[in-house]
Amino acid sequence: MPPSTDLLQGTLDLLILRTLALGPMHGWGVAQRIQQVSKDALQIGQGSLYPALYRLEYKGWIRSDWGVSENNRRAKFYALTPAGRKQLETELETWERLTSAIGLVLGPIPGVGS
Amino acid sequence: MMRERLSRLRFLLARGLPAQERRSELDEEIRFHVERATEAKVAVGMTAAEARRQALIEFGGVERTREQCHEQRPGWWLGTVLQDVRYGLRQLRGNRGFTLTAVITLGLGMGATSTIFSAVNSLLLRPLPYRDASTLMWVSNYWPKIHMDRVMSPNFIAARSESRSFEQLAAYTYLDGNLTGAGEPTRIIRANVTANFLPMLGAAAQIGRTFSDGEDKAGGSNVVVLSDRLWRGQFHADPHIAGRVVILDGVEETVIGVLPPRFRFPDVQLEPDVYTPLGLETGANVTDRRIFLLSVIGRLRPGVSAQQAHAEMLTFFLARTQNYPAGFARMAQGQEAAVEPLQRHIVGDNRKPLLILLVSVGLVLLIACANVANLQLARAASRRHETAVRGALGASRTRLVRQFLIESLILSLFSAVLGLLIAVATTALLRSLQIPDTPQAALYSEVAQMLRLPFGKLTAAIQVDGWVLAFTAGIAFLTTVLTGLVPAVGGTRNDLRNALQSAGLRMTSGREQRLLRHSLLLAEVALAVVLLASAGLLIRSFVNVLRYDSGFDPRNTLTAVTLLNSSRYSTAERREAFVDRLLPKLSALPGVTAVAAASTLPIQPYDLSSAITFEDIPAPPVGMRPAVSVVSVTPDYFRTVGTPIFQGRTFNPSDTALSAPVTIVNRAFANRFFGGDALGKRFHSMAWGPDHAAVTIVGVADDVRHGGLEQDVQPEMIVPMAQLPQSTVSIAVRTAGSPATVANALRQAVWAVDSEQPVFDIETMDQRVSEAIAQRRLIMLLIACFAMLAVVLCAVGVYGVFSYSVTQRMREMGIRLALGASRRGVLRLVVTEAARLILVGGILGVGAALALSRLLSSLLVGVTPHDAMSFSLAWVLMTATALLASAIPAANAARTDLMAVLRSE
Repeated sequence: MPPSTDLLQGTLDLLILRTLALGPMHGWGVAQRIQQVSKDALQIGQGSLYPALYRLEYKGWIRSDWGVSENNRRAKFYALTPAGRKQLETELETWERLTSAIGLVLGPIPGVGS
Repeated sequence: MMRERLSRLRFLLARGLPAQERRSELDEEIRFHVERATEAKVAVGMTAAEARRQALIEFGGVERTREQCHEQRPGWWLGTVLQDVRYGLRQLRGNRGFTLTAVITLGLGMGATSTIFSAVNSLLLRPLPYRDASTLMWVSNYWPKIHMDRVMSPNFIAARSESRSFEQLAAYTYLDGNLTGAGEPTRIIRANVTANFLPMLGAAAQIGRTFSDGEDKAGGSNVVVLSDRLWRGQFHADPHIAGRVVILDGVEETVIGVLPPRFRFPDVQLEPDVYTPLGLETGANVTDRRIFLLSVIGRLRPGVSAQQAHAEMLTFFLARTQNYPAGFARMAQGQEAAVEPLQRHIVGDNRKPLLILLVSVGLVLLIACANVANLQLARAASRRHETAVRGALGASRTRLVRQFLIESLILSLFSAVLGLLIAVATTALLRSLQIPDTPQAALYSEVAQMLRLPFGKLTAAIQVDGWVLAFTAGIAFLTTVLTGLVPAVGGTRNDLRNALQSAGLRMTSGREQRLLRHSLLLAEVALAVVLLASAGLLIRSFVNVLRYDSGFDPRNTLTAVTLLNSSRYSTAERREAFVDRLLPKLSALPGVTAVAAASTLPIQPYDLSSAITFEDIPAPPVGMRPAVSVVSVTPDYFRTVGTPIFQGRTFNPSDTALSAPVTIVNRAFANRFFGGDALGKRFHSMAWGPDHAAVTIVGVADDVRHGGLEQDVQPEMIVPMAQLPQSTVSIAVRTAGSPATVANALRQAVWAVDSEQPVFDIETMDQRVSEAIAQRRLIMLLIACFAMLAVVLCAVGVYGVFSYSVTQRMREMGIRLALGASRRGVLRLVVTEAARLILVGGILGVGAALALSRLLSSLLVGVTPHDAMSFSLAWVLMTATALLASAIPAANAARTDLMAVLRSE
């Protein structure tokens, strides 16, 4: 098993919100989607995925409904609430600021070349 | 943000779906997830079984995920705390023996600590009941040569106008007085105060007024303010008292007001009955005719510190010395100024004993904590299996530690409630005890005196208030940490597999566990030795002090005091006539074998001292002459109080005002001034004024202590009352039977001579001795009690730890016995282990006690703080008790039933 990248809790929340922005999805779907999009770089441990989903639901950013999955089985689908959409926007903004700031600090290292 | 809050609230209140349903939903979700994962693995070519296995492994702990999802719920934390509390209560209820032992042990410790703290709080910490009490300062001018620590009135008058540190300065003096013209003649305490004294403390009259400016000048008005106590007691709370005339020491005075009941005089030992204006002369010159020594209280100006005020007063007093007459200036040599917070001055000597008590009781509480911590450790060890199972089921370490801590907290809270009940009951008892003033109440008074006398009228102030509650809550949390943390951390440390495997077997408990238990025990033994050694030092001091009541015989003696200071006794002849008429009446009483009057009795303070000069040596200048205490007595004095005369003769009725002046000196006098050979020597005393004929020493008497039992013996000259009548007349009556029965007859006899003359302080000499040592006795008894409690707790601790370890090692003992070890050998094994601990603890304790006992030194009499006897006895007593306590479990181990052990495994 490849070593899973440790994610900050806030980052995991952001990833889940961003993924759900594409449309309602069940837990398995969220995990798969993140793994695919990140080209297997990010593997979400189920141990942290479900607690994160519950946490976001308790915060009112996502809601859950039972529905039927693509292979015709009962599954719990998570969807972004309006509050969640707003939260995603703020968090994306924060993320942008943070990464560009970190980028500035890291910058090209003199002598190493880029 | 708002929405988030609302959403949380919704979950908190409605709790969403019922827990059961949520759980099954989550299970279904997890099942779905695993199925999809399996399908994905099958799709890449795994067998169905292998794919499922891999999917499950990848998913990890299902229970853990469940728990973590559950933990996301808002308010989950609070819910689990409640869960822990419920679980803890169930545990404690299921284990009554342990719970009861722990609560009683801790409760007693906390009760004692809270009670002593109530006293400390009421006497040392709580502000005085005056306006801005923190800025009130006690001001005095200490002259070490003559032990004067007051302020001379001219200096007070000068300081009032010159001092920049003080907003106000007020002064008082006090004296005993006689109140007549209102029922029985009564002895009262009279405070003479400056007009600003009461207003400065923020005291206003409840009826009438207090003094106005100018009333405190010399020759001012004859007005008096009554205390609430006297007003109710003597004047039946007459609401129209203002304007009534009373007779104080034979002088008519007009009542102008009554103070409120809650007013307390700054010197609590006094509690005056009446207040009269201080007749201050206006001159600030020390050579003026009349000088009073004043007690002075000042209020600091805002922003001025006590240190600044002290510096100013020192400069002031030093500057004043320039204008003193030569004799005064010499007496003032080495003078100091004192400016200290009034509160500290009032509590004064009580401070140290109270703090020592608080520390001692704190040590007892620590021992109690160590004991309970050990019990908890043993419990934690026997709950290892339970803890391991909970850990295996997914409980986190934090959660397990918290569970232990919550149980300790519950225990501490129960104990705190018990402790508070004890403190409330004890302080209420202290307050309710009255000082009986008649010897008839002697039986009841035994207890009352023991508890109440040591801190005198201060005792009335001791109560449980908010600070005591807060203090008790504080120690409850402290004990929680002390008793709970070690077992909680220790009890949850074991790794799961080990615990699960070994918990079924009765194996020797972990090395670390044992180390913890043993260190706690070590500390207990050491603390107990410290307390025992302190108690030993105090007991030895007490025994030494008891020896100080030598020089007189306190048994079968009744004493009383009367004051001849009213205008009717203004001349020596009248005072002498009073005594001459009184004594025959007293001797005629049935059962009385000897009667005497004296200006002061043994233990009572001296009230006259005089400078002396010798015939054959040129007199040193005034201020450099030696001073001795002077006591006037009637001829039968020595026989009545039982003081032996070593050399020469006693006084007889032929020593009169007209015969040659004679004196009997004590041994200290004879040794100091005549190298022991004093008989027949002559000297001059200022007691009769200057130019009086020389007095001849006709006898040498045994040394007697005055001013308490712990004062050093002073050189003393005793003179016939006929030659030097004084205004204080103390009466001593020696009886054949119980002296208390003569009390009433004594009072009647005095009134038969003068119906206006109050008699007070009627007490047996034994009572006076017991009062003189009351505080020391209480402190000694309390610390001895604490030490005994510590020893008992320690013994219980030793017993507990070793009987636990023996139970744990039952199997080992069985094997040893099976392999041929003798039962004696097993006994020796356990006792040796205990002995090693106890020895080390004892040595640590002796070391700590040696380091700490210096703190006691101010309370020690006749023993050094490193007294070998107290220390070795403390060590021996503790070691013997602890060894005995360990012998019981050791004997149990030796009796191990081999077959039972083998069968049970």
